[in-house]
Amino acid sequence: MTEKISRRDFLKISGIGVTAATVITGCGPSSRYVTRQAYANMPEYNQTGVSTYYATTCKECPAGCGLIVRTQEGRAIKVEGNPEHPVNKGKVCSRGLTTVQGVYNPDRITGPQKRTRGSRTFTSLDWQAAINTVEEGLKNPQKTAFLLGLQSDHLYDLVQEISEKGGFGKPVRYGTLGTLDGRSTLLRATQELYGFDQIPFFDMANADVVFSFGAHFLETWLSPLAYSRGFRQLRKQPFGKRGYIVSFEARQSLSSANADEWIPIKPGSEGQVALAIGKIAATKAGGATPTLFADVNLNDVSQISGISMEKLLQLSELFGSDNKAIALPGGSALTTKNGLDAAKAILALNVLVENTSQPGGVFPTFGENHTSDFTAVKALIAKMNAGEIDTLFIHGSNPVFELPASAGFQAALKKVKTVISFCTFEDETVIESDYVFPDHAALESFGYQRVLLGSDREAYSSIQPVVAPIHDTKATGDVFLAAILASGGNLASVIPYTDEVDYLHKTITPLIEKEGSYSAGELPTFWSKWLQFGGWWKTAPELSFSEGVINLDQKLSLSPPQSAKEGETFHLVSFATQMGDGNGANRPWLQETPDPMTTVTWNSWIEIHPKTAEQLGIHDDDIVEVKSTNGDFSVEAIVYLYPAIRPDTVAIPFGQGHTALGRFAEGRGCNPAIVWSSEVNQAGDLALSDTTVTIKPTGKRRPLARQESKEGVYGGH
Amino acid sequence: MTELLAKEAQDEKWGMVIDLDICSGCQACVTACSMENNIPFVGEDEMAYGRGMQWMRIRRYWEGEYPDVMPDHQPMLCQQCGSAPCEPVCPVFATLHSEVEKINLQVYNRCIGTRYCAINCPYQARTFNWFDYEIPAPMNSYLNPDVTVRRRGVMEKCTFCVQRIVKGRQQASAEGREMEDGDVTPACAQACPTDAITFGNLSDPESRVSKMVRSDRAYKELENLGTEPRVTYLKGGKSYGG
Repeated sequence: MTEKISRRDFLKISGIGVTAATVITGCGPSSRYVTRQAYANMPEYNQTGVSTYYATTCKECPAGCGLIVRTQEGRAIKVEGNPEHPVNKGKVCSRGLTTVQGVYNPDRITGPQKRTRGSRTFTSLDWQAAINTVEEGLKNPQKTAFLLGLQSDHLYDLVQEISEKGGFGKPVRYGTLGTLDGRSTLLRATQELYGFDQIPFFDMANADVVFSFGAHFLETWLSPLAYSRGFRQLRKQPFGKRGYIVSFEARQSLSSANADEWIPIKPGSEGQVALAIGKIAATKAGGATPTLFADVNLNDVSQISGISMEKLLQLSELFGSDNKAIALPGGSALTTKNGLDAAKAILALNVLVENTSQPGGVFPTFGENHTSDFTAVKALIAKMNAGEIDTLFIHGSNPVFELPASAGFQAALKKVKTVISFCTFEDETVIESDYVFPDHAALESFGYQRVLLGSDREAYSSIQPVVAPIHDTKATGDVFLAAILASGGNLASVIPYTDEVDYLHKTITPLIEKEGSYSAGELPTFWSKWLQFGGWWKTAPELSFSEGVINLDQKLSLSPPQSAKEGETFHLVSFATQMGDGNGANRPWLQETPDPMTTVTWNSWIEIHPKTAEQLGIHDDDIVEVKSTNGDFSVEAIVYLYPAIRPDTVAIPFGQGHTALGRFAEGRGCNPAIVWSSEVNQAGDLALSDTTVTIKPTGKRRPLARQESKEGVYGGH
Repeated sequence: MTELLAKEAQDEKWGMVIDLDICSGCQACVTACSMENNIPFVGEDEMAYGRGMQWMRIRRYWEGEYPDVMPDHQPMLCQQCGSAPCEPVCPVFATLHSEVEKINLQVYNRCIGTRYCAINCPYQARTFNWFDYEIPAPMNSYLNPDVTVRRRGVMEKCTFCVQRIVKGRQQASAEGREMEDGDVTPACAQACPTDAITFGNLSDPESRVSKMVRSDRAYKELENLGTEPRVTYLKGGKSYGG
């Protein structure tokens, strides 16, 4: 059902609460003073009631930013940042701001469903039937698997505990935002080179020179709001000092656009460039050049990366000078076959300038990082194909949409007897499932997010419902616990939680003993403060120091990047946008917020250098077929002539191209994951930046809805 | 109006400063503004016709040739001109200057949709409701009760979040004090991930905005037209000082 609310109706509704004088003097509940107001009194100038604010945590990406949500009359009105929160300090990005459009989305699943696979037909169930189904699925631990997303750490922790104690396989945790960052690669390289077990915190704020190797720190990299603040502080240092950023990547991202220099290097040559910079800087500094850098041939690097020798020398001098320098290993450098060694080469630059555990340098973060690499996903697919999985639980992830087509997930899914999704929307994976038992929406649920990547201190961010659930949904944690409790078997005796909130209580109890930003004598007080402040964190920054000597006397084996055949094949760059891992595509205001670089709305596109397009006879708004060179997969994309990309490279944003997920998402743009290579690098991450494609005009055209001049960047077309 | 309210209102002259050196162009302000001010989404076709309703837009101009090409991002919104070209052309006084906040008002229930004001605005900061835009239920639940929901046929534009100014003034009055710098933050400035937007009272020489407009990086857009904009930009690093 849809209805239009006219201005008149809306004023009638909101006029009920108009009690300006009452609120100012603060006396009594507003309902005692109901007066009808003339329509000439605009609500802008009147008190329309009193809002209530709740602290919670953003669930739109895994960064774990703190939110304060304004509610009125039981409705979530506006998402604002939590000023006390160590990650975002009161700021919010476009994704977080549109959370309310997810909660009140007309395409949400309104209750548990038994579905017919491959179609949109379903019959409604009640929750008791749903819990019985889950109970049935949990009966056979060897033949049951869990596939979870990067959000909601509490659910992962709970499922992890259930798996361990119940003899299930380790839950697989996968999300495209992690994949595009090459997080598993970064983690492995950090473990092997720095010797600590977490993805590091890069203290951009206090550096003088930042060398970014494809890190999209203003968009989606690790913890975008924390790094946006780092960017600000870098630029606004005491005494008018302004930090300098150099960015190396084939396609200019928003982060590169805000850098002082953008160096369009050949995709896959980031590692070699880092080694060359290290070698020159080490030589300049005098003393012995570490083995890691010593073997690299500068002429070769200049040749394969496309950076002139002069520029290479100049940049290396800048990096190795007395300035505090830091190197950031971003996704495009890491998601190649050379990824692990490239990550080590970039991280080694930080060792070379001795910034580890120094202000403006690299720090260990807090706690373990649980993400699965693509190898784990592949192993799961293999098991599914072998018929070893009878029940698959999917939460917080949309594998049918997110995984490369060549990985064969959809075919493997057909071999699984029972597929149960907990998605709040009818996404591509729900369409291929037998059951969907919808979880609450972000602002309706309990939980927590460990803040690993964007905080300078140990922090847990609490999630609490700011509004009552509007549909017949149930927290997934509660569904699992109810099923376990009902089974009454061995598992019920080792999983001692009555419900999700009980689990949260028991999990956060150890924090009471720790020194944090508030203290409490016992759990009920601690719990209320935990909810009130939006989590628990240390009072002051507490970056820990890594001990142990970092050994640069090792050799890396970086193979030269593969070349594209000029005019025939192209490197494909895929990047995340405000749509995140794709589930933002059903938020109309994320669709209508223009892309920062192209100003395109409501669609996706393929970025092609104008010169390349001219050679191929392609124009703005032409539809081209993009086909992977090592597979039979192809997508159709609309051309955007993008002046800031290498002529041998094309780029497609990730997140659009949905065939399901609701009216705002479906049938828009294309999904680059379809053409991604499903090969992995040494760290088990998807080597998606190695994908090369061919481009063929289809003869069709479709104008992109861009905000920039209709004339386009380069005049008429 | 109480005495304190009246006194505060007298001293108000709201202004905004946007630091282009740290504005990354990420568009969070655009989304924040839209969510705060009940701005309707118009869909792909209408966006393609140039009928998007964003009160704020990030102007992006490419500068230079590959490989030395970079975009310039500049947030553009109603400049709340002191001498506003949109005001004298309105036949029904739907757009006029507020004596209290010293901003441009748009009075929706007066507006008859002649669109003269939009034609006369050199900043192209005004958007027109060509249709009644549908917000399918239950999505209308998040509409902000402090902001009018506009109908087809009326003009609209940035209000400097006047509902927040009013609330800030009432709050200060209820607490028996004068308004302080930072009491009012519009949605865009509140969200801005790099804190590039500063908002405050220009009649207070000690406010952050007053200090920033005295910066030697400060300029006003199309200043030579004599519109007296209340939005000041601070030049970015790329175009300032080489």
